[in-house]
Amino acid sequence: MTRDPRSETSGAPLLTVRAIEKFFPGVRALSGVSFDAARGEVHALLGENGAGKSTLIKIVSGVFPPDRGEVVVDGKPVDLARPDDARRAGIATIYQELLLFPELTVAENIFMGHAPRAGLGRLDWRAMRERTKALLASLEIHDLEAERIVGSLSIGNRQRVEILRALSQDARILIMDEPTAALTEYDVTRLFDIVRKLKARGVAVIYISHRLDEIFAIADRVTVLRDGAHVATKHVSETDATELVQLMVGRRIESLFPKITVPIGKPVLEVKDLERRPLTKTISLTVRAGEIVGLSGLVGSGRSELAQTIFGVTPADSGQIRIADQQVDIRSPAQARSLGVAYVPEDRGTQGLVRPMTVRENFSLAALGKIAFGGFIDRGAERKLASDGVRRFAVKASSLEQIAGKLSGGNQQKIVLGKWLANGPKLLILDEPTRGIDVGAKAEIHRLMGELAAQGLAILMISSELPEVLGMSDRVLVMREGRIVAEFSREEATQESIGAAMMGSHDNAEKAA
Amino acid sequence: MSEIPLPQTAKRIMPWWLLRHETMLAVILLVALIVLGSLNSRFLTIDNLLNQGRLTTEVGLIALPMTFIIITGGIDLSVGSIVGLCAILLGYSWKSFGFPLPLAICFSLLVGAAAGFLNGIVITRVKVPPLIMTIATLALYRGLAEGISQARSVRGYPEWFYFVGQENLFGVPAQLWLLLIALVVSAIVLDRTTFGRTLYAMGNNETAARFSGLPVDRAKLIIYTLSGLMAGLSACVLVSRVTTTRSDMGIGYELDVIAAVVLGGTSIFGGVGTIWGTLVGLAMIQLLKNGLALTGVKGDATIVVIGAVLILSTLVASSLQRRRDGVFWSV
Repeated sequence: MTRDPRSETSGAPLLTVRAIEKFFPGVRALSGVSFDAARGEVHALLGENGAGKSTLIKIVSGVFPPDRGEVVVDGKPVDLARPDDARRAGIATIYQELLLFPELTVAENIFMGHAPRAGLGRLDWRAMRERTKALLASLEIHDLEAERIVGSLSIGNRQRVEILRALSQDARILIMDEPTAALTEYDVTRLFDIVRKLKARGVAVIYISHRLDEIFAIADRVTVLRDGAHVATKHVSETDATELVQLMVGRRIESLFPKITVPIGKPVLEVKDLERRPLTKTISLTVRAGEIVGLSGLVGSGRSELAQTIFGVTPADSGQIRIADQQVDIRSPAQARSLGVAYVPEDRGTQGLVRPMTVRENFSLAALGKIAFGGFIDRGAERKLASDGVRRFAVKASSLEQIAGKLSGGNQQKIVLGKWLANGPKLLILDEPTRGIDVGAKAEIHRLMGELAAQGLAILMISSELPEVLGMSDRVLVMREGRIVAEFSREEATQESIGAAMMGSHDNAEKAA
Repeated sequence: MSEIPLPQTAKRIMPWWLLRHETMLAVILLVALIVLGSLNSRFLTIDNLLNQGRLTTEVGLIALPMTFIIITGGIDLSVGSIVGLCAILLGYSWKSFGFPLPLAICFSLLVGAAAGFLNGIVITRVKVPPLIMTIATLALYRGLAEGISQARSVRGYPEWFYFVGQENLFGVPAQLWLLLIALVVSAIVLDRTTFGRTLYAMGNNETAARFSGLPVDRAKLIIYTLSGLMAGLSACVLVSRVTTTRSDMGIGYELDVIAAVVLGGTSIFGGVGTIWGTLVGLAMIQLLKNGLALTGVKGDATIVVIGAVLILSTLVASSLQRRRDGVFWSV
């Protein structure tokens, strides 16, 4: 944890956002938000989902104009009517969903829209390659070639391409919207290296993240938003995690990882020599009733693939699965469900939730058999199931008929979890259960996990967040390149031991990812 | 990502059902009826309207399973060819194989179901997109129909067979009862059963539906088979009405059917739609055709008007959709 001592802004700020207000029909999304960022400063924006962070950065990136207030760059007010205006003002934004062309090369992606030209409007390929190399060298990125196809790169490298793209346009203000949400710990370290280099160059970085440890690791100052209003701006050296969380949610969060020790029961899931090429190789593991087993590993190490093989999405080629002492051959999710296996997938938007459907319909989706008689859905029972779920999981929705996709990430995740619990499973597989959701919802999901384990549910939790793995697991398994390479008890597990097992060695990291 | 809460204003101004596509369409239909009725005294008579119902039954029977299919985000372009194939096999098996007519009817229904099942099995197992698969079978089934018929038509069916196509039952065209029953059953299945819910979930997010343990592939197999079966039934009704069997029967049905379904507010992208919408869509197309013809508008112009109505209704629907969702909706 290197903390930059120079947290006082020197001279005039590079970017000033002054008293921004934004109304959407019927809603005040931002009410008088101001903050500034100096050259070489990393300024973090913090807030729960719905606090207005995205709206704010969309205004600064010119996606839509503010209703009141102004954006000042380098002392001059700028009119950001379109994204192009922001680009010309030297503002570049790296969104959570990377906007790259997967079929094109690194160099082509970087210079898309502003490629160097030779005569007669031809592209100057050589200059493009040279400038790409220079950009790569300037950030000391050595494992990325100008000619690689972007689709073949790891998420971490794709993100680096986006950063280079911003730099190639001479961006002086770089906005990063949850840049680490999809990254492994290793890629996060590398991202921070790059951010520090950008700092040294005088680039102002607006950094949005839910992860407090990152903010303390990388940011100089942090601005907290809540319900569209500016709550506080602090130097990170003068605040701590407890205070930030409190500012963010407006209340105290008791504990981030409320692990309850519960008696461990009989094996619920026993997997032996499970094979499904290419990413599930001779996997053996056991999860017992009341136990939370953490499954750690780099992105691409085969964790989700293993989960989906157990769940029947991609049935196993060979090997044995026993559920509650019954030998089973799971060929489909429907079958897995009837055996009492529940899977809360990693990708909430495409695999977990049917976003355009209502809260009620999503809650009942995996438990239709329980509320239907002769194929006819009992609407009363369905409403009861959904309203029980909303109450139990404290889902913030205006009604059961609200469209699920319009809720915040945390509430969506609670619905996906709730839909599976409505079915009364024996084994719960959670794939990145708290990715991209705010601190309050995260704590609630962790609390629920503890409760469920206490009720005798067996939980297999995949997570890329080591603190979560360490905080919640009774046992930790580490996967690398499709195999389980290490197992730690709760007492043995540390960031370092898991990290080392995950990587094998640093040289292999890129290949694995 | 943070999300912007929704504007509630649109809801407050109008009750929700007024904003529904089906309601808007019904209003447009009503206006068109009144205008056409005032232009021509023969248009708004019970006899004429019932007769229009008779004419629209064949398309209507197929439009019901097509609503299911389009709700799942699929499409079945082969229905017209299945009508042709079933019609030919009805006549052929009766005349050439010497099947008794009831058996021939069953046989042709079975062939229809099998044709649909083949679509479904290839779509689910080989994962060919429905558009490609059913374009292929559109050609294949029509080719079979033509090959079997050798351009000969079959006629001279026994008198009782014409009952469904030409007679009345309780004062209403006989085939209209068939359509009515199928309509009510389809509407209940779609609205009230786990099967219907599965279809909507598939159309909105097939992966999530699969990951929720819903029988996605089985549901697809069922709806494509049902589509073939109803095309077979439609063929029998059609032959009964026109008294003869030719291999070019049902050409272009797929377009009429899809137009009615989409006009009725079923989203071609899946996830949205109702049987009632399809009913209004069917009525709208048939009555516009008839009303314009009676008013002396020529055939070509009729098609232009129908096309314009389709575009207009789509515009209305999408503007309503925006109002419901709020203009600024960030993902």
